[in-house]
Amino acid sequence: LEMASKAINSGIGALDEVIKGLRLGDNVVWQVDNLKDYSYFVEPFVNQAIRDSGKCVYLRFAPHPPIVGTRRGLMIKEVDPKGGFDFFSAEVHRVIEEWAKKKFFILDNLSALVEEWATDELLANFFQVTCPFLRELDTVAYFALTRGQHAHSTIARIRDTTQVLIDVYRIKGKMYMHPLKVWDRYSPQMFLPHMVTEKSWQPVFQSGEAAEVSTIARKQPLRAVESSIAPWDSVYNRLIQYREVNKDSRQMIPEIMALKEEFSRMLIGNHPEFNRLADSYFTLEDLYNIRDRMIGSGRIGGKAAGMLLARRILWEQDSEIDFSKVLEDHDSFYIGSDVFFTFLVHNDLFRLRLKLSRNSQLSREEFEEVEQSFLAGRFSTEITEQFRNMLDYFGQAPIIVRSSSLLEDSFGNSFAGKYRSEFCANQGNPDERLEVFLHAVKLVYASTLSPDALSYRRRRGLGESDEQMAILVQRVSGIPYRHYFFPGLAGVAFSRNLYAWTNRIDSNKGVIRLVFGLGTRAVNRVGGDYPRMIAVSHPQLRPEIGMEIAKYSQHEIDLLDLKTNQFVTLPTAEVFSRDEYPNIRLFVSIMKDGYLDDPYGMIHPYSGEELVLTFNKLISDTDFVKITGNMLERLDSAYGHPVDTEFTASVDTGGSVRINLLQCRPLWLPGLSGPIKVPDNVPRERTLFKSKRVISGGVVSRIQYIIYIDPRCYAEITSMELKRSVGRVVGRLNEHPRLVAGKLLMMGPGRWGSGNIDLGVNVSYADIDNTVVLVEIAREDSGHVPEVSYGTHFFQDLVEGQIIYLPVYPDNPETMFNTLFFEDSANILTDLLPQSGELENVVHVIDVPKATQGAYARVVADPQSHSAICFLG
Amino acid sequence: VWIFFIQTTKGAKMKKELNPFSIAQKQLDDAAEKLGLDRTTHELLRWPMQELKVTIPVRMDDGSTKIFHAFRIQYNTARGPAKGGIRWHPDETVDTVRALAAWMTWKTSVVDIPLGGGKGGIICNPKELSETEKERLARAYIRAIARSLGVTKDIPAPDVYTTPQIMAWMMDEYETIVGEKHPGVITGKPIPLGGSQGRGDATARGGIYVTQEAAIAYNIDLKGQAMAIQGFGNAGQHAARLGEQILGLKLVAASDSKGGIYKASGIDVEALIEYKLKNGRVNGFPKAEKISNEELLELGVAVLFPAALENIITGENAPRLQCKILCELANGPTTPEADDILFEKGIIVLPDFLANAGGVTVSYLEQVQNTYNLYWELEEIHWRLREKMSRAFKSVYEMSQSKKVNMRQAAYLVSVARVAEACKLRGWV
Repeated sequence: LEMASKAINSGIGALDEVIKGLRLGDNVVWQVDNLKDYSYFVEPFVNQAIRDSGKCVYLRFAPHPPIVGTRRGLMIKEVDPKGGFDFFSAEVHRVIEEWAKKKFFILDNLSALVEEWATDELLANFFQVTCPFLRELDTVAYFALTRGQHAHSTIARIRDTTQVLIDVYRIKGKMYMHPLKVWDRYSPQMFLPHMVTEKSWQPVFQSGEAAEVSTIARKQPLRAVESSIAPWDSVYNRLIQYREVNKDSRQMIPEIMALKEEFSRMLIGNHPEFNRLADSYFTLEDLYNIRDRMIGSGRIGGKAAGMLLARRILWEQDSEIDFSKVLEDHDSFYIGSDVFFTFLVHNDLFRLRLKLSRNSQLSREEFEEVEQSFLAGRFSTEITEQFRNMLDYFGQAPIIVRSSSLLEDSFGNSFAGKYRSEFCANQGNPDERLEVFLHAVKLVYASTLSPDALSYRRRRGLGESDEQMAILVQRVSGIPYRHYFFPGLAGVAFSRNLYAWTNRIDSNKGVIRLVFGLGTRAVNRVGGDYPRMIAVSHPQLRPEIGMEIAKYSQHEIDLLDLKTNQFVTLPTAEVFSRDEYPNIRLFVSIMKDGYLDDPYGMIHPYSGEELVLTFNKLISDTDFVKITGNMLERLDSAYGHPVDTEFTASVDTGGSVRINLLQCRPLWLPGLSGPIKVPDNVPRERTLFKSKRVISGGVVSRIQYIIYIDPRCYAEITSMELKRSVGRVVGRLNEHPRLVAGKLLMMGPGRWGSGNIDLGVNVSYADIDNTVVLVEIAREDSGHVPEVSYGTHFFQDLVEGQIIYLPVYPDNPETMFNTLFFEDSANILTDLLPQSGELENVVHVIDVPKATQGAYARVVADPQSHSAICFLG
Repeated sequence: VWIFFIQTTKGAKMKKELNPFSIAQKQLDDAAEKLGLDRTTHELLRWPMQELKVTIPVRMDDGSTKIFHAFRIQYNTARGPAKGGIRWHPDETVDTVRALAAWMTWKTSVVDIPLGGGKGGIICNPKELSETEKERLARAYIRAIARSLGVTKDIPAPDVYTTPQIMAWMMDEYETIVGEKHPGVITGKPIPLGGSQGRGDATARGGIYVTQEAAIAYNIDLKGQAMAIQGFGNAGQHAARLGEQILGLKLVAASDSKGGIYKASGIDVEALIEYKLKNGRVNGFPKAEKISNEELLELGVAVLFPAALENIITGENAPRLQCKILCELANGPTTPEADDILFEKGIIVLPDFLANAGGVTVSYLEQVQNTYNLYWELEEIHWRLREKMSRAFKSVYEMSQSKKVNMRQAAYLVSVARVAEACKLRGWV
């Protein structure tokens, strides 16, 4: 016995390693499904104890068979619980006191006491008086509890009192142990489930596997269930009763259908489109599962609902791809929207919120103050206990706390990026982890009042509408790699391709923005860093060529650093510099002497060659694109509307692809919200131009100003200086108060935003961001038509800025380009910028109503028929 | 109506002037006149000797077949097999290919390598082709023109939008057709298939070597002097690095399409390259002032390297240029009008087809190695390149001195005279 170090040998080396050894004074509680599993840990402990101190004391009180067989040194002391709590406790104390010098105790399964005493309460009481006593005497004692048999309050009291609490369960024939509490000891992987084998105990860290194991292990992951709130629970309870009575029947009787719908409204909300989908796809079982993983009450919000619905849709439909094999398990939790209100009310934030959502724009600094008052807020003990349950469940696996408000991700409003999502690397002891988690939740709550969110709501006319913030807590997908944690693949995928930059690409098939590492880099746009854009119809095509590919690639990776417990961004070279990331050859190309080469086999990590993230081999050698494309198609058809999804993915060594669908929402598409009819009967004299090859669509009426850069005059400018100044003039016009006040359309030759001023006006996105429609005039000159902006990153900016982009080919007879109107209408350039007279023949600014006795310009663009028209009227 | 007429005629005239082949012919005409070339020789050199136009069907990934049009032009082979790149571009025209084939003829001649000039092109948009479609197109092109290719006939190389990988497919297809190994049939191959060392910085290195020769010839001490680089892409970055290492120059300014930076005390080249690779621009580089592309050109530096765009030194800004040596790493940075002004100002212009001939020289060295079936170390490539560039400079310099013409005209005179002489000796004229 190694008294000096206080470390006690448990008889199982792997156990000592995971929990950093037993100590004198430890009470160890094993939550097991059966006695055999308890014996598995007790047997070596007893033998070790006898080896170390000669004796081990077995307190025998339950009717179940003995945990270990008799042997030399094992002192069996029988105590009868029939005498009641008081008598029994006193007896146990007496035995302990008598044998305390022998240090080692094992006890029968405590759950047996409940059968005797018929109440959990007394069991907890017994533990609470016995455990500290053992501790004072510097002993080590093993206890057992049967999993799922006790009230949460009992477990909570035991957990609070004991030093070590370990959950043990079996899944698919394999045994797992999951430490839930280990007092005063810590290791980075201590609180993860570990697979128990004779040889070693492996932490389950890969997200897909962890989700699968934990979901099965914890049918009721939340031990603390909110006390009843009518009518929420009354509906729930009625359904539960129904579940009990009709276990075997798959038929739905009308009363139940109605109850299910009611229950669904309570969980998911009330949007006709969404309800239709929820009613047809969610089963009662799905709704129960939501309830079982819900913290507090209320609704789960749009993001959570969209994610669940999309997964269900993929599971349901038959197609060539079996999504039950492709989709990774999810084991998310939902913090109900009521928790948000309770938090506001209890922390005196409700009125502040009311005031802020009604009026006035907050400044950044003012918002920071608001954020501080949210951070100072507290949650009720009950909710906090449920948070603890959830964190126990995840152990040290990284999680993400995502906003899931009622209005978010619904039909019509995406709120993309308006509310916060917070990563929790989730390292540290349970208290530290809870602290960080609470911080994250409060930040998400506070973000409902952020200036961005408030102005978005106001602009969309949602200022007064009921916005409740639910939260979706998801396991971060990925695997540990060095001391980092991140998914191999992550991204967003749209079921319609707005970036169809060539005719070959079918814009009705989707597009994928793919990154390596956390998906934050695909969701947000980061300057100078580019995700791989994959057109589902033609995955190999890309608008860059040669070394441009390296430039327009992902240079930095977002990941979670488990050592520093935070989100970090690192250069790709640093992440790849050591060790070989699994399957890296699927993700990178190798920079050779001036060209990129796809790897044909192993990549030697020390070869020093630069690796460029192209995902070429993933695209050519795996089913990734096919699967994602199929997923988009199915979601699109079930929703009856284009969708916008967020996902992570992984590829195993055999090349099979697993997808984890994190989010699905209706995609906001200009011109696709309703059918658009391009009028075909506009008289010639009122037509300004027509356009084919249109892929962004929409209707814009009452366009008051047109900036027209005359292509011919522009081409004839010989002074480079003067040519460059055209871009600067456009930038100033873009900001001019008079033009900002009315709707603005810009048209000019060739490629706007090109670095080469001979190809088009050199502007940046900020120089044109006030225009509603941007027209590129591709006039045939010296035998060829200039290339338009499709596929450029400038073009991406337009798409995301929701600026309608139209290429116009005036030399095509169908185009009906009204040159006379643009050249002859009065030019107000010098009224606006008096010093720009030099460019008067190049830059025409037309006040449309003035030039036409009151008419405005109108643009109708239909992405379905690829045609558009601009006309007066 | 009158105005329209003027505009149309002006447009037509402009179109004619912009035709690259007409420009190439005009440049030859000027040289022929200065050389006093006889009419027959002049007429022979005005036209490509062989043009092959092919139509190639290619099966696309979706099963459909697409028809591509392509060219291979051997402009003049009096000095040896034709040499020149293959361009893949949607706006390719036969006249562009003709003009570029002519320029290749003068370029191989000015560096005095035993090769003629050629060029090829496929009208296609490689951005709209998948890798497998590119491979099929590359192979189909070679099948169509294989008869006129060969180490003794015509040796293609990569050019606009073609890569070492495409060269590898093409070489493989050619070897399959002839049933023998002929790595030298194409250059710019990946190194494992017989590509040469030293290709990456060949163009910039060649430019640095001629700059060095110019400094000696004009007795300019470059050590510690300033250089400025317009266009900090691949060639520009190599030029900065080699300018520092070989010539002892210090980089004071560099720019790209998003603007430039300036620092009188000198910029850390490696740090700037790293910054540019990471951020995609030089602007914002720490502790350097902002400078526009125009201002950069007018700096008082010893050497100015235009390494990006055409026509940036014009009649308008040429009077304000203050550099001593202008080394044209890019193609056509100086307009003819500017050329005259620079000559009068005494600025030493190292014309593009001399200054950037390092690329084709290393291509030639690749072919020589392929033929030897013996491969050289990098140092050997470097000294052979230096040798070629230095001789080339000297002959152009001497021509400019003896004929009292600017360096560009001198380069034309040297190269055209060499081709003319070869034609004469062969008894063609």
